[in-house]
Amino acid sequence: MTRRNFHASVIALIAAGAIPASAQEPTLSIGMAAPITSLDPHEDSNSPNNATSRHIWDSLINRGGLAENKPQLATEWEVVDDTHWRFKLREGVTFHDGSSFDAEDVVVSLIRARDKESQAFASYTRNIADVTAEDDHTVVVETTVPDPMILNSLSRIRIISSEFADAPVSDFENGPAAVGTGPFKLVSYTPGDRIELERNEDYFAGPADWSRVTLRLVPDDGGRLASLLAGDLDLIENLPAEGVARVESNDDLKIIRGQSTRLVYLGMDVSRDQTPFATAKDGSPLDSNPFKDARVRKALLMAMNREAIVDRVMQKNGTVAHQFVAEGFFGHSGEVEEVGYDPEAAKALLAEAGYPDGFALTIHGPSGRYVNDSEVLQAAGQMFSRIGIDTKVEVMPWSVYSGKYSDGEYSLFLGSWGVNTGEVSNPALALVAARNADKGTGRYNGGGIDVPAINELLDQATSTLDEETREPLLQNVSAATFNDVWLLPMHYENVVLGAKNGIEFKPRGDKYTLAYEVHKAGE
Amino acid sequence: MVTTLIRRIIQAGFVILAMTVIVFLGVNVIGNPVDILINPDLNQAERLRVIENLGLDRPLWQQYLSFLHGLTEGNFGNSFVYSKPALDVILERLPATLELALCAMVIAIVVGLPLGLYAGLYPNRVSSRVIMTGSILGFSLPTFWVGLMLILLFAVQLGWLPSNGRGETAMLFGVRWSFLTWDGLSHLLLPALNLALFKTSLILRLTRAGVQEVIMQDYVKFARAKGLRENRIILVHILKNLMIPVVTIIGLEFGSLIAFSIVTESIFGWPGMGKLIIDSINLLDRPVIVAYLMMMVVLFVSLNFIIDVCYTLLDPRVRLDGKG
Repeated sequence: MTRRNFHASVIALIAAGAIPASAQEPTLSIGMAAPITSLDPHEDSNSPNNATSRHIWDSLINRGGLAENKPQLATEWEVVDDTHWRFKLREGVTFHDGSSFDAEDVVVSLIRARDKESQAFASYTRNIADVTAEDDHTVVVETTVPDPMILNSLSRIRIISSEFADAPVSDFENGPAAVGTGPFKLVSYTPGDRIELERNEDYFAGPADWSRVTLRLVPDDGGRLASLLAGDLDLIENLPAEGVARVESNDDLKIIRGQSTRLVYLGMDVSRDQTPFATAKDGSPLDSNPFKDARVRKALLMAMNREAIVDRVMQKNGTVAHQFVAEGFFGHSGEVEEVGYDPEAAKALLAEAGYPDGFALTIHGPSGRYVNDSEVLQAAGQMFSRIGIDTKVEVMPWSVYSGKYSDGEYSLFLGSWGVNTGEVSNPALALVAARNADKGTGRYNGGGIDVPAINELLDQATSTLDEETREPLLQNVSAATFNDVWLLPMHYENVVLGAKNGIEFKPRGDKYTLAYEVHKAGE
Repeated sequence: MVTTLIRRIIQAGFVILAMTVIVFLGVNVIGNPVDILINPDLNQAERLRVIENLGLDRPLWQQYLSFLHGLTEGNFGNSFVYSKPALDVILERLPATLELALCAMVIAIVVGLPLGLYAGLYPNRVSSRVIMTGSILGFSLPTFWVGLMLILLFAVQLGWLPSNGRGETAMLFGVRWSFLTWDGLSHLLLPALNLALFKTSLILRLTRAGVQEVIMQDYVKFARAKGLRENRIILVHILKNLMIPVVTIIGLEFGSLIAFSIVTESIFGWPGMGKLIIDSINLLDRPVIVAYLMMMVVLFVSLNFIIDVCYTLLDPRVRLDGKG
């Protein structure tokens, strides 16, 4: 072979290797907005962790974008009696290391998640009394009490191979134990930087569109946007508001929007007879707590132009809310009166309640915790001032704020709840049920709301297994909460992603960005 | 030299002790880690179990004593957030920060020192004036802005360099390094340049000022009169004598590069320690904060010691143990 021929053949070889490779092996890089804290799927429960673990592991139940329960590793299930559920497991499923999936893996995983010292999944496992394998592909889950949320809970718990029941966190992060049945296999994890995944060709629901996926952890808004503009990332979470125009004006990029289940609301002190941060305009104390009067609460809601807040302050990254969950989610009520912006009527209501000249108020909120949280609070404060309530706004870092607002230190405060079950009992139990340490209700009820009718409805709803009886109960909870304005609903945060034009993705209510659900356009 | 070293170590011990007390008290003043760390869906009983598991149910002084006890066994405690030993969490990020800081420092020295020397030797040339004006820019432009401009220019507009992240790494001594691969180097370049800009200006101006002071000294004039070659005068008589302040600054700035390059690390998504400490403060992850600050005290104390040793090498009149 002459030297010239040799060169030509090398080039040909390289070309032959390179061109089909790039055509056949589609890769996807996703910019995640929040870093994960652990790759052990049972160690810590937060959105980035749980979204990441879904790439590698499956659960018994598959949670859809509207929080609906669909089969995943369980193909069907039945209620045996009030406290026993039987699940048929999918056959022929293998883990990434080739071992086959059976009932033993389910038993081990559920018990491991329940008994982990970190107790991160306790809210999902607290009612699991025992899990037993009837045969290789049938398990029975025994609950301590009738638990209508058990399917939802099981959709949260990833099934690991029983071999790694006692594996420490580091084994999951360095790879050996990171073996699931999910659509992707772990290649490597660099803390604070990236998670590299490759396609599981044998995935039971069919292989993903992408042979390689990189989840980049880029919490910095500017950095994430720049990487999208530079073409280093194909899809980014939480497109910052200041980047909307740049992405819109770029022919190769697009914005993907959807509604999340995160509700932002204002809570009020409705329990004390005198509330610390509401005074007469001259600073002297008021005779009574104005927020105990439903007319004052409604006036506050009417005073706010929430359309404008969503449109300008939130840069369309939100949708006006009227109750816990939007239409289509379990427990949404058609009976909730939608209160619009009407400052004149608000003033009239205030006068009727005995505050014709308003009063002075200091409102509190976190800064940097939720999308544009302090700006939203400032806008609300200005709108209150326009109906005669002289409002001062105080914001503070989340680490300072978080303990105080839930303990009822403030008179009017900004709060938020990610409705991660996608149904009403979850936010209602935490935010408006009376505080009761034994039952574990009202933990974030910072206003001290205690309405017997609501408590009663929730008691029934949490012990009813039948979905058809349960739904009207929860709908009544929504109506009772918002028609008496116990909370001022502000908006649901939107899911806003920036993407290359060739990418298609339908945002999910839980804000998870799952590579398996990302598709190439036109396929 | 050995007695000095021992004295320094004892001093560092006291500084560290004082600092752990401050961090323990400080974190408690900011807020309760429990409110931030615990999943809001947990009920009271489950919360109590987690609090107990984290050891936060005991009074602060007991927590502090058991922390000191762990310290004697080389255990800084488990990170509240990452559920791993705090030291491991930090050491995982150390190589990334170290190579970024080293790279930036090398750029700063390689560019800053010769340019400063040049500007000091020939202060009236136009090129010297241009260099000095440029250094003012290097001083006054904010790091985050320069970083974003570098990304916009080189990554978004020209598309020459990647915008973000650490890129491919290769193993050396059991640690992953970026500078060993082309892809890693290309990721390293922009953040290193961004960090180096300020340091370059600093070294440049310091060198120039030093040159102008030294060049007036009698021994330089004498060396000239003896007819020594210009190169020898510059390298031996001028450079060596102006190095003491420069070395001091290089040492201290290197420390601050390692400890506080938070802005650059955030903008370029560099998975280093600066980002980690800010996250840990926001999440009140006390074990990581304590371990990190302890490492930084040790780092600065040892850097200062190295600087002192350098003094004795540069100037034989300086003695470590003596009064001089």
